[in-house]
Formats: sequence, C-alpha cells, structure tokens
Amino acid sequence: MSGALIRADDLTMRYPNGTLALEGASFEVAAGELLVILGHNGCGKSTLLRCIAGLQVPTQGQVSVSGQVLTGLTGRALSTARMKLGMVFQQARLVGRRSVIANVLCGTLGRRQTLTTMLGMFPRDDAPVALESLDAVGLSAFANQRASTLSGGQAQRVSIARALAQKPAALLADEPVASLDPDAANEVMQLLRRISSRDGLAVICVLHQPELARRYGDRVIGMKKGRVLFDAAPEAIAARDMDALYTGTAGGSYHE
Amino acid sequence: MSDAAELRGLRPLQSGQGHEFASWRTGALRIAVGLGLILVVAQATYVVQARPQDLITGAHGMADILWRASPPDFGQFQHELWPAIETLDIAIFGTLWGVILALPLAIFAARNTSPSRSLYYLARGLIALCRAVPDLVWALLFVTAVGLGPFPGALAISVHSVGMLGRLFSEVIEDMDKGPVEALITTGATRLQVFSHAIVPIVLPSLLGITLYRLDENIRGSLVLGFVGAGGIGFELLTAMNLFQYQTVSLLLVITFVLVTITERLSAALRAKLA
Repeated sequence: MSGALIRADDLTMRYPNGTLALEGASFEVAAGELLVILGHNGCGKSTLLRCIAGLQVPTQGQVSVSGQVLTGLTGRALSTARMKLGMVFQQARLVGRRSVIANVLCGTLGRRQTLTTMLGMFPRDDAPVALESLDAVGLSAFANQRASTLSGGQAQRVSIARALAQKPAALLADEPVASLDPDAANEVMQLLRRISSRDGLAVICVLHQPELARRYGDRVIGMKKGRVLFDAAPEAIAARDMDALYTGTAGGSYHE
Repeated sequence: MSDAAELRGLRPLQSGQGHEFASWRTGALRIAVGLGLILVVAQATYVVQARPQDLITGAHGMADILWRASPPDFGQFQHELWPAIETLDIAIFGTLWGVILALPLAIFAARNTSPSRSLYYLARGLIALCRAVPDLVWALLFVTAVGLGPFPGALAISVHSVGMLGRLFSEVIEDMDKGPVEALITTGATRLQVFSHAIVPIVLPSLLGITLYRLDENIRGSLVLGFVGAGGIGFELLTAMNLFQYQTVSLLLVITFVLVTITERLSAALRAKLA
C-alpha cells in the first residue's frame, strides 16, 4: 500500500439555493481498502461521492487520485482522469435493449477511438477484457442475454463488470445495494470486498445499513449534516456513535 | 416538497368544518364551467352560420351527385394507378428526408443533448417554423418555386415532417432514462460515444414508432397536396371534379380509402411490433 490513492481535502459543497450539503470533508483511501460512508438521507454522502467522481464540482476543496488533482479539470482531461474511477449507482443503469456483454464493453469506451466505437466496432482485444470482467462478477454465462432480462442483483453485478472493464484504480459505489433484497445485497457487497482485497482497488461505498458497513468495511466514515462525524475501523466504532448518525435528524433534515 | 404542498392543499377537504364549504365551491365551479361551455358552443354555431334546414333542402342535390358518381368508373383504374403510386412516394420521400433533417435538429433542440444554448433556441425556432406553417401552404410555396408536379409536394411533406418529427424526437430524447448516460460519462466516454452507446439504443424504438406514424399521416397529407398542383391523387381528384367526371371522382375516393386503410393498419401493426 503506497499511501493514499484517493485524497479528499476540505470538500465543501454549497448549492445555489444556499443548502450546505458538504462542509469540510477530508479523508484518504488507500489501494485495497474498502471505505464505507454511512449517514442519514440528505447528510451529504451522495454529494461527497459525486464530487469525488467529478460529476459535481465542489465549491471549495479538492480531490486527487493517485496524486493528480481532479477538481477543476474539464473536457478531455476530466474524461481521462475519470477513467481511473469506476462508478456504480443505486440503479444498475444498463441499456436494457442491448446484450449484457455490449453493456460491459461500454466500460472500455473511454480509452478507444470515438469514431470506430460509434459504428459498434470494438478492438478485438476488448472482448476478452469484457468477458474477464463479466467472469469476475460471476455472470459470464449471461453474456449474450438482453440486459433487461436480468434480476436486480445480476444487473447490479453487470454494472460493476462495466466499471471493471474500464480498468479503474478505484470503484465508487453510491448505495449499490439500496434496491436489492438481502441475499443479492450480500452478494454485491462480497463482490466489492473481493475487488478491493484481491484486485487491490480502492473502494468507496455509500451505504444505509450499519450492519453491512461493519461486516464488509475496512473503515467506516459516519456523516451528519454534511460533516464527517467519525472515521474509524468498524470494530472501533461504538454503538453510541453509530446511533448518533440516525438520531435527531428524522423529519427536519430536509428543510435545512 | 411538492408532496407536502399537495397534502396541505387537501386538508380543507378532509377536515369536518371545511367540507361543506369545499363542496359548495365545487358545485358553483361546475355550474360556471357548464355555462361557459354552452356559451362557447352557442357563439361557434352563430359564427359558422349553421343552417340545418339547408342541409335538408340540399339533400336531393347530394343524392344527384351520388347518383352520377355511381358506380365508380373502374375502367379508369389503370390510368389512376400511377397517381396513386405518386401519392405514396411523395409520402415516403417526404418522411425519409423529414427524418434525416429532424434528427440532428432534435438533438440540438433537446435540453440534455444540445451543445449550446444558442443552438438550442435556433433549433427550437426552426422546428416551430416548419410545424406552424401547414403543409398545404408549404406546397403552394414550393409549387411557385419548382413548378407543378410531385416534387413540390414531396418537399412540402419533408419540411412539415421536420416540424412534427423534430418536436416529438426532441421530447423523446429529453424524457429518456438518463441513468445509462451518466454511467457512460463516468467511464470517460466522449459526448459522441455516449450518444451512440446510450442515447441511440434507448430512444431508437420510440423514434421508429414516431416515424411510422408520421409516414401514415404523410400519406393522408400528400393526398390533399394535389389540390394545389403538387401531383398525386389529389391533383386527379381536382381535375375530375372540375370536369364533372363524378364516376372518376368516386373511383379516386375508393382508391384513397383503400390506400389510407392499408397504410394505417400496416403502420399500427409495425408499431405494435416495436413496442
């Protein structure tokens, strides 16, 4: 482990309507580490992840990935920098009408020529890459099926395969199991666990379930009202601190 | 937020003392709407100078035309086959070019894919202009520009189709599932790659459905265009009317009916298959 792979420095996000979604969030994630971010709805978890992914520009602070500052980049430079970060969302976000393998191949788009891929021509050596990623999520048997025929858990694993085909250094997962049943959720979490410890990717995973955070996380960050409340190994977090994340926020938190 | 506002709006209806007030108000509103509708219909009847009695006294005139128009002169069928094909081809050509021109315009005219704000307004304006002017007027313009025949008709159908298709295409693009688009942006894909790998596969079935429906509408549209000299069945219809050849007129109406019914069925069946 060569220090931090992703470094977030003093990230602050104030929306034009005045809402302060994020306030001075700083942390690091190392390669091979699975970091879980926990917190109540509207605590800024998703904003934090989107800032790291470069989907939103923080009003203050910066994000760097393996030493390169990502914040402030635009256009081609941003696209290239983004390729180091694979992103997984709550919904699988696959194109339902296309085959599973075609969806996974989309992960390779960033490093390929625009024109040839637009005609549906992928370089020959990308097919094995896509199949390999599909194999890593245990779904290579489904390669030629339409993506719309998959179950929720399978679709989510295919979206992870798509992110892997991108050959990223880190994986950012925004509530990847929020719309899955417990079995499928565990499968997806085990997969993320394996990707980080075996393949050495840094994984940041936003979750809603403290028990999943304790079971799968190397480190857990608790967030409340846009601030980092704690940042520690799961066994070092007292039940009291965990409870504090979810108390006193019900109802009122939307109207801040 | 909006849920809360909706709930607040419902509250007077749910609470006891507000109920009577609310129902009195809705009752008054209904009466007002009813009176308003009657007023609208009354003024429309007055303005169009509706005279039902003329319809009755004119009945024998109509019977006379129907008598002179039957039976349809099927001997003319071979002669009218060519104009029928012309009508069909005006619609096919017009729809094709409508699609080719409408697609790039729609991409500029959809808020989520438009490259810049000024292009967005420009595309919107062009589409609105094509749509606002009826195809009959476009046909008149093109007849003066390129002369009589099917070509001005095909041009008119193209331009009008750009207006209709451009608007529907851009709406489909705006309403599409944005998930895969954002997912591909995060993989580092370029704008064009996102277009070809997320937007196109998602919207293609809807666009094809809209195009088939447009083709069906255009066939009906091109029937009329002949009246202003833009070829096809309409032109034959106008000529036969002017020469009092009512049996030819009825033959042309039969051909029209068959043409429209077949294309309507065909386009509906194809669209059902796409869905």
